[in-house]
Amino acid sequence: MTKVHVIGRSVLTPIGNCPAGVMEAVRKGESALSLHPGFPEPYFASLLERDGFEGSSFFTYIATKVAREAALEAKIDCSSLRTGLILSTIKADIQKLGNADVSPIVPAAEIARSLGITSKPIVVSNACISGLAAMIQGMRLIKAGTFDNVIVVGAELQDRFIVTGFQSLKALSPKACKPFDKDREGLNLGEAAAAVVLSNREGEWELVDGAIRNDANHISGPSRTGEGSYNALKALPLPEDLAFVNVHGTATLYNDEMEAVALGRAGLENLPVSALKGTLGHTMGAAGILESIISMEALDAGIILPTRGFKNCGVSVPLNISALERAAKGNSFVKLLSGFGGINGAMLLRKGGSK
Amino acid sequence: MNELINELKLKLIEALNLEGMTPDDIPNDAPLFGEGGLGLDSIDVLELIVLLEKNYGIRLATPQEGKNVFKSVAVMADYVAANRTK
Amino acid sequence: MKEAVIPAGTNLSALYRSLGADYPKFFKMDTLSKLGFLLAEMLVGEEDGRFGQREDRAVLVFSREGCIADDLHYAQSMKDFPSPALFVYTLPNIVAGEIAIRNKFAGETGAYVIDGFDGELIRELSSLAFQDKTTREILVAWIDCPSDSSWNAKAWLCNEAQINEIKAFTI
Repeated sequence: MTKVHVIGRSVLTPIGNCPAGVMEAVRKGESALSLHPGFPEPYFASLLERDGFEGSSFFTYIATKVAREAALEAKIDCSSLRTGLILSTIKADIQKLGNADVSPIVPAAEIARSLGITSKPIVVSNACISGLAAMIQGMRLIKAGTFDNVIVVGAELQDRFIVTGFQSLKALSPKACKPFDKDREGLNLGEAAAAVVLSNREGEWELVDGAIRNDANHISGPSRTGEGSYNALKALPLPEDLAFVNVHGTATLYNDEMEAVALGRAGLENLPVSALKGTLGHTMGAAGILESIISMEALDAGIILPTRGFKNCGVSVPLNISALERAAKGNSFVKLLSGFGGINGAMLLRKGGSK
Repeated sequence: MNELINELKLKLIEALNLEGMTPDDIPNDAPLFGEGGLGLDSIDVLELIVLLEKNYGIRLATPQEGKNVFKSVAVMADYVAANRTK
Repeated sequence: MKEAVIPAGTNLSALYRSLGADYPKFFKMDTLSKLGFLLAEMLVGEEDGRFGQREDRAVLVFSREGCIADDLHYAQSMKDFPSPALFVYTLPNIVAGEIAIRNKFAGETGAYVIDGFDGELIRELSSLAFQDKTTREILVAWIDCPSDSSWNAKAWLCNEAQINEIKAFTI
């Protein structure tokens, strides 16, 4: 069967606008997480500078920017009917609700037009695993022979709608979040955009496989047995040379515990684990793509990134996690995500996959 | 107190969309959560926190705090009577 | 291939009762999730051995408008007391999750937004789920619900052979 490779990557975050730069910033422990005035309650988040942006949609602007950069790096023909576009987002332009058409297909169509894409764009909106689900769908479209190349772009901005919603769920941490820590108090929201180009061409990284499973348990509470996350991990052809798992690690009480249980059930509790939300916040629709790209950069540099915010283990299955950088052994990693709606996803990426 | 208990029951039924229930279906001392109770869940706890703030000016910081207050309608009524600001 | 439709304007509470479902959480759902729940009841409600956990069934929901009706309700509540119960439904995939929870479908679930009903595109994107070898059947739904009173709601239950036989889903 066709192998799918990652041949272009681009990111835009408050701590850098290229994959290597963001990876180095994570390495140094930098973060843009800070307190912002709220509606009215203040909130701790990692937000992008608008820099006097005056266009009609900052969301479309950042998503188009990273999609274009990734396409340029991959040197693909956007106008070919054999090139697809998938947008991953949860709330897109929700701040325009009541004043404009807020369907996420609107920015998707706009990105397609800007890049000269002629195939029909699609939007994957699968809660917090959207980015991962979009990459899996892109991989499948190539394996099915529908496309040669698929641009998968994810983006999310924060506004009153999302912030007050998470506040009403009592899910936000009043300080910088602490993934897997015994004193964790909740998550921080984040803004970012990220894009990959998936292709049937050779490339340095292979997207080997991915799986999505539902807990079939509760729409907002993760399964206590880690059911869906475990089932998604179990569905992957996990190799001997796994270097680490880059987990969801939102720093909510229940998510981190659920992930630890799932990793334990999958026999992966001794494998090194890293989490990026203590640096970048929870970037929602961008997270799956952004965190996969940063993890690829880390393994390219031969390291496991530090988990900012982690100090003392606060989950029932002790994980191999550290606030310090470590050397990586192995050539592949797993990206794990979970979200509302009982949804869980796992994806396997391998370096030098084309050989 | 009985008046407040009845008022709380009506607000509970409305806020939590307890279709087909009347105040008489909710015993004063019956547990609201877990087995044998009304079968409410974590989102219902959060919605009850909103109910207290909206109607009685009471702010609970965490769902954990709520668990003690929302043991039964009677416990809730005692808490509201002692802490209401409106 | 089995299919089910709920015409716009149907009284959903009455339909729920006529289907004999005993699931009080139904009344807490937004209209989008109610529609998905009922479509699933119509498709699998009569099956033998129902409610045993099944990892081989996927649920894929397509629309143009996502969860816009609930978005508007939440935005209204946000002006004074943001409602957590409304906020949790402001995700287009919650309907797929509700179907999975009700029926103990532990397989893939997903939500897609496309530019209006497109039976060929929905067929193509749904059929990809069979690349996951655990997936044996998919419940595919087109639920476009711009408001609580107007919607277009249809669902299909099919296996790989059945989806390969058709060129497009039709409404």
